[in-house]
Amino acid sequence: MTPATTATPTKKAAADTKAAAPAIKYQGTVHELQKQLMNKYYADLTSIAEGGAGRSAQLLIAGNPVEVLRAFDMIPVFPEINALQLAVRKNSLPLIQKAEELGYSTDNCAYVKADIGMWENGGKTPFATIPKPDVLVCNYVGCNVYLNWFEHLAEKVGSPAVNIDIPFMRTKDGEPAEGDVEYVVAQLKELVTLLEKVTGTPFDEDKFVKIVERSSRVGELWSQIRDLTKKRPTPYDAYFDSVTMMAPLYCLRGTEEAVDFFEKALEEMTAKADRAEAAIPGGEKFRIVIEGPPPWPFLRVFRDMFSRWGAVAVASTYATVGGIWEFGFRHDPAHPFESVAKHMIEANLCNRSMLQRYDQIWRYATEWNADALVIHSVKSCRLFSAGQGDMREHFVHDRDLPTLLIESDLEDPRYFSQAQLRNRIDAFFEALEQRRITGGKAA
Amino acid sequence: MSNGSGRYSAGVDVGSTQTKAVILDENGKIVARALTDTGAYLVRAAERAYEQALQAAGVHREQVGYVIGTGYGRFNVAFGDAQVTEIGCHAKGAWSIFPNTRTVIDIGGQDTKAIAVSDRGEVLDFAMNDKCAAGSGRFLTNSAEACGMDVSQMGEKSLTAKNPVRLSTVCTVFVESDILSYMAQGKKIDDILAGVHSAIASRTVALVRRVGAKDEVTFTGGVSRNVGMRRAIEEKLGLSLNASGDSHYTGAIGAAVFALERMQAAPAAVA
Amino acid sequence: MTMTFETYRDVIEDREYPTVREWRDRTGGKVIGCFPVYAPVEVPYALGMLPIGLFGGGNRIEIANADSRFQSFICSIVKSTLELGFIGKLDVLDGLMFHSICDPARNLASVMGRNFPQRPAVFVHLPQNFQSPQAPQYMAGELRRVAQELSAIAGRPVRDADLAAAIAAYDRVRELQRQLYALRSSSPERISTSELYTLSRLATLMDPKEVAPIFEAALAGAIKRTERPKDRIRVVLAGSFCEQPPLELIESLEQAGCYIVDDDFLLGWRSQRHPVKTDGDPFLALAEAYVNDSHHLSPKHDLRKPRAQGLIETARANRADAVIFLGAKFCEPGLFDYALYRKALEASSIPHLMLEFEEKMWLYDRIRSEVETFVESMLFAEAKAS
Repeated sequence: MTPATTATPTKKAAADTKAAAPAIKYQGTVHELQKQLMNKYYADLTSIAEGGAGRSAQLLIAGNPVEVLRAFDMIPVFPEINALQLAVRKNSLPLIQKAEELGYSTDNCAYVKADIGMWENGGKTPFATIPKPDVLVCNYVGCNVYLNWFEHLAEKVGSPAVNIDIPFMRTKDGEPAEGDVEYVVAQLKELVTLLEKVTGTPFDEDKFVKIVERSSRVGELWSQIRDLTKKRPTPYDAYFDSVTMMAPLYCLRGTEEAVDFFEKALEEMTAKADRAEAAIPGGEKFRIVIEGPPPWPFLRVFRDMFSRWGAVAVASTYATVGGIWEFGFRHDPAHPFESVAKHMIEANLCNRSMLQRYDQIWRYATEWNADALVIHSVKSCRLFSAGQGDMREHFVHDRDLPTLLIESDLEDPRYFSQAQLRNRIDAFFEALEQRRITGGKAA
Repeated sequence: MSNGSGRYSAGVDVGSTQTKAVILDENGKIVARALTDTGAYLVRAAERAYEQALQAAGVHREQVGYVIGTGYGRFNVAFGDAQVTEIGCHAKGAWSIFPNTRTVIDIGGQDTKAIAVSDRGEVLDFAMNDKCAAGSGRFLTNSAEACGMDVSQMGEKSLTAKNPVRLSTVCTVFVESDILSYMAQGKKIDDILAGVHSAIASRTVALVRRVGAKDEVTFTGGVSRNVGMRRAIEEKLGLSLNASGDSHYTGAIGAAVFALERMQAAPAAVA
Repeated sequence: MTMTFETYRDVIEDREYPTVREWRDRTGGKVIGCFPVYAPVEVPYALGMLPIGLFGGGNRIEIANADSRFQSFICSIVKSTLELGFIGKLDVLDGLMFHSICDPARNLASVMGRNFPQRPAVFVHLPQNFQSPQAPQYMAGELRRVAQELSAIAGRPVRDADLAAAIAAYDRVRELQRQLYALRSSSPERISTSELYTLSRLATLMDPKEVAPIFEAALAGAIKRTERPKDRIRVVLAGSFCEQPPLELIESLEQAGCYIVDDDFLLGWRSQRHPVKTDGDPFLALAEAYVNDSHHLSPKHDLRKPRAQGLIETARANRADAVIFLGAKFCEPGLFDYALYRKALEASSIPHLMLEFEEKMWLYDRIRSEVETFVESMLFAEAKAS
């Protein structure tokens, strides 16, 4: 284990014991169930890596088309999820450094670097051995680093690789351009041909439709879960607890297990909401929207910084990187390819423009009744972070929504400065609290 | 808590290099200040500064009704009743010294802040330098070292510049190489220093613009004593800056004012 | 030649865009600013507008406002381009064109749109699936869509004949440019890289029909030159395809002992390897040229051929002694490419040097001494070997 390094001034404050919050219990049944499912998922992958039966394909989170891969019984593997697992377990830094020795820059996305470092280690991680994928499917959905990433992986692991080119949401009316959906459908059908070749199995349309049907069901359940956070108090944290539900949403969408998981999750969260049970033991004092990915190496510490203030996320943009279901999108078994294409083009955060993201945040702020916006700006992911200063400017000055901008990283522990973050978070909620006491009578 | 029900309040600001303590009477008048190097033991530094202030004021601990800790080491003020961030305390402190303050600029060792302040001294919005400490107090210290001069004289010296240089970086690591290049080119020290101040002033003013520069602007923190810095910011901002002789006590003053307000708002809770 | 170069130099450094203002005043036409790397410049030109290259603020402007919108880890060109907007330097433009080079550039299009709603930002989606037979047709459709958006600014529809003429005009410039590049590779003493760069950059700020005679004259002049070749190493330069280094930095590299025999400066403006076919659908012709006949642009992810192979081939074809990777600070695509290049260059035993620059840099001592050391070590090794 490598100890996390932080900037010098933080050491003193980090060392103080009084600052440490009492252990808060966040875990519920959903968390336990998720752990079981993910353990099985990783055990299956390890078995493939060790020569067992089965196939895997690597693809990326944004607008992921798992349905097509599942139709060929391929297990979808997401390098982002592997990278974040490495970070959560504090294994990321030595892998990042290994990649930097190979010529990757300190300014390159640390997800990619941790992944490259992982492959240097033969795909071995403390939680699984990641098999060499049978195919690399780069679903280019917004994130430009994806293209670099799979270009590098194609060289590194030598699997057949293909880019699925997803036209960006770029028109003035905010809709896909004419022909975009057809273009993506055509590429998906080419992908089907490739997968037939790779797996030696013919495409089974009925099976595909069933999978899409289950994805549709999962989307419905997930959407209802997302809606529950409109309640006061919100039964779960739409940032920190959503990430628990995101792994099954992507790794298992299209399977019966996923349907079952989300039924149970909805049940548990609805019961909590009915009992008016808050997401954190101390109760809900501030409702916030969080924008940006979490700092995986310090997830718990970071969460505590908000819980201390009774600040709970009622919505988060991060929960929509793989897909936005809460505004009505569903996979459609009657039009399976078209709906997968639409999911990739328009029904996820990553392929939407920055200004569409502003609108999404504003919907959260108003329809979910939030008091403030917290922007967690991570250096690695510029898709999210580049321009977040403008976002802050917009919400503070045009929307009059109290907004906090803080910085660290999603994977590289060297960018996490605990004292600096805590200082800014404290100052922000201090001011919000003060304003509440004085009834907003301030100038 | 060891604090009594007395009429005095106190603020202790545990910063990364120095720890400051201030004691106020019930009218908000400063009756004592104390300053000590923070060193490695934050709890002791806080204790030491507080004790010195008590002695200077001739006040016993029991006579102090409420103590607030602030600064990076605010949780190390073991005898404190509460903690407030230095962002809140700088706003409050600046407002208490200059009641018309609507914007506060604070340049510290690692952090530069711009704070928008209400007419009650409350934080409305704040912006701070990003993760990279570019353009903070540390940059000044490194630059002074590269120029071979004391940081306390660099501001004055920069004012005699005739042809200020342009730095190609505000990175605290690379500034040294820029300065050495200029020295090798035979540039004058005052011109180089003026370039250094101008670079930081630009960064600072960019922060101020983020929260909106409303008159009056008060400059707090240790760097506010640097006259070169003050001028450079005033020039770029087009506004004059308030700066008090007590500027490096601003955080501690703000903490003490908060303490007094809390003491007077809810005396029962304190007793 | 030397005299006019001083003027050209001033033109490319001047963010008042004098040639553009002059063109505007003279023709009454509209101007479209094209953010790097690649823009289908023929389309606005076919609509009677002047497409110009937006290559950031250089080292003469101070970033005072854009810092609050983009963080410290974002490259300079993104911030300085936004800054140019804030300080009114982009008022000469009627519209902007962006594509997805990288995430910051993509988001810049949005931020520009929000801060300057009066100046439409047209976003071009360039294809990234080069194994798909759909790519050229899709791109042709996208160019038609872009043409429609630009038509709204121009106030007239685009005609195929106009687009074919526009392609011909740019093809003429690109053909001359190919000849200039070939000349520099065969006789680098006849035309310096700073001269060639100045010309190429100038071409992004003028009507192609006015550029062609300048290039013709420069080519004729360079061919006639009789300079004695200096004892320098032959270098291929890579990494500066978007943000551009200061001209003084390019000069420093040459003075430090390098003949730069190929580079990727402004590559998006000359990405086609051959003249574009103009018989048939001109939109499809442009698309075919991009998909099947363009240089290995950094933001073009073509899995048909490993990226580094293109660089190795370029180095070999130009008989380069070494490769210098001159990457913009914080440029993520460039830095990713470097990791691939490094591995391939080492495998091919081609010496290389990695340098980082920023457009706003002002002092070159550090870089220059690094290059000198590199060149000396190579010349020394050569002397020892012979």
